[in-house]
Amino acid sequence: MPPLLSIDHHNGVPAYRQIMDQLKLQIATGLLAPGAELPSTRALSAELALNPMTVSKAYGLLEHDGVLERRRGQTLIVSERSATAQQTAKLDPLRQQLNAAAHLARQLDVSPAQAIKLFRELLDS
Amino acid sequence: MNPSETLVPTIATSAPLVLRNVTQRFGKHTALRNVSLEIPAGRIVGLLGRNGAGKTTLLHIASGMLLPTDGTCATLGAPSGLLDTPQLTRLGLVQQEGRCLEWMTIRQHLDFNASFYPRWDRDLERRVIEALEVDPKRKIVQLSPGDRQKVGILLGVCHRPSLLLLDEPMSALDPIVRKRLLDFLLELLRDDGCTVVISSHILNDVEKIVDWIVALDAGEIVEDSAFDVLQESYAEWTLTSINGVLPTAFAEPFVINHQGDGRQALLRVRTADAAAAARFAAAHHVEIRTRPLNLDEMFPLITSQKRKTS
Repeated sequence: MPPLLSIDHHNGVPAYRQIMDQLKLQIATGLLAPGAELPSTRALSAELALNPMTVSKAYGLLEHDGVLERRRGQTLIVSERSATAQQTAKLDPLRQQLNAAAHLARQLDVSPAQAIKLFRELLDS
Repeated sequence: MNPSETLVPTIATSAPLVLRNVTQRFGKHTALRNVSLEIPAGRIVGLLGRNGAGKTTLLHIASGMLLPTDGTCATLGAPSGLLDTPQLTRLGLVQQEGRCLEWMTIRQHLDFNASFYPRWDRDLERRVIEALEVDPKRKIVQLSPGDRQKVGILLGVCHRPSLLLLDEPMSALDPIVRKRLLDFLLELLRDDGCTVVISSHILNDVEKIVDWIVALDAGEIVEDSAFDVLQESYAEWTLTSINGVLPTAFAEPFVINHQGDGRQALLRVRTADAAAAARFAAAHHVEIRTRPLNLDEMFPLITSQKRKTS
C-alpha cells in the first residue's frame, strides 16, 4: 500500500516540502517501516497529480538526508537507520506546533504555568 | 535556400524556447521590452502578468505568428519566423480566442487538423473528448465560449506536441473540467517530457502544476524563478511588539509592504534567508509569526515590481 499523502497546493508550502514532512512523520510514527518500498516518481506524481519534478526533488532530498535509500535497480526504500533518526527527530514537528501555541499564549497573556497545565490536560484526555 | 536563414545566428542550446533581447512595438506602444528567456525541456512554466503585460505577445512571438521588432526567438531550435514542418508538427498552441473553421463540425475539424500531423494520437483525442465532455457532432458555429475553448485545447494537444503554449486556455471552463485538463497536461509531461508554457489568471490551478514562474510587467520580465524558491522566499510576518512601540516603517530591503499600528504589524517580505526572521525579531524586539504566501497572494507583489519603481 503506497503512503497516503495529502498535498495542499494553496497553503504556500512547496509541495516537495509537504511530501518530505509527511513521509518523515509517517516513518517517525511507524506507519512506514524500515525497508518499506516507495512508489516510483512517476507513479507517485500520477497518483497525487503533481509535477514529477516535485516528487523527484522530495525523493532526492530524502535520499540525500539518508531517510530513503536506493536499492539495486531503482526502487527507493525507507532506510534502516532512518527509523531511529526519525525517532530522535520526532520532537521537531511537535516543537513547530508548540512554537505557534507559545506565541499565542504570550499574546493572550496566559502564564507559563497555566499553559503547561492546559497542555497536560490535553495530553491526558 | 532561404537567404534569411544564414542571417540568423545559430542558437547553441537544446532548450525548446529561447528569446534573446526581444522587443516588440506596435506603433508607439512597446508591448515587450528587451525580453530574454530560456525555457529548458520538460518544464511547466506559469507565465504571469497583469492584463496588457505582454503575455499574449510573447506567446505569439514564440509560435512564429509575430516577428519581433528586435531580437531573436528560437522555437524548438529554429528561428521562430522560419518554423517549418518538423517544428510546427511538434508545436502546440492554444489561443485565448482561437479561430476555427466555423462551418465544420468538431469531428470534421479534428480530422482536418489530424491530416497535418503524423503524430496525431486518436486514443488521446478520444480520451480528451470524453474528459472535457465534448460532443463531436456539433458545429463550431453553434458553440458556447466554454465549448470553443475545449475545441481549442483538443486541436492544440492531440498531436502530442513537445512544446505546448497555452494562452488563457481555461478561463471559461468549470472547475471539474479544468482539473481534468491539468491532469492531461501532467500526463503529457510524464509520457513525452512535453514542455508547457501556460498563461492563466486562474492561479489556484497554475500553482498545482507549474515548477517555474515567469512574470511580465509592462512588457519586461520581472521574475524568472523556480516556483518552490518563490514559495520559500515570500512570506507574511505578523509582528507583535514585546516592549515599546513598533516603528511605522522598516528599512530592511526585503520588506515589501507593511501595515499596522504601534502594537501589531503585518509585513509581506521576500527573503530566501531562513534566519532573517530571527535576526529581525532580535533587532526590533518583536515576536514574529510567519506564514508562507500562496500564488494569489504573491501575484500582486511579483507583477507590480516595475510599476512601483518606475
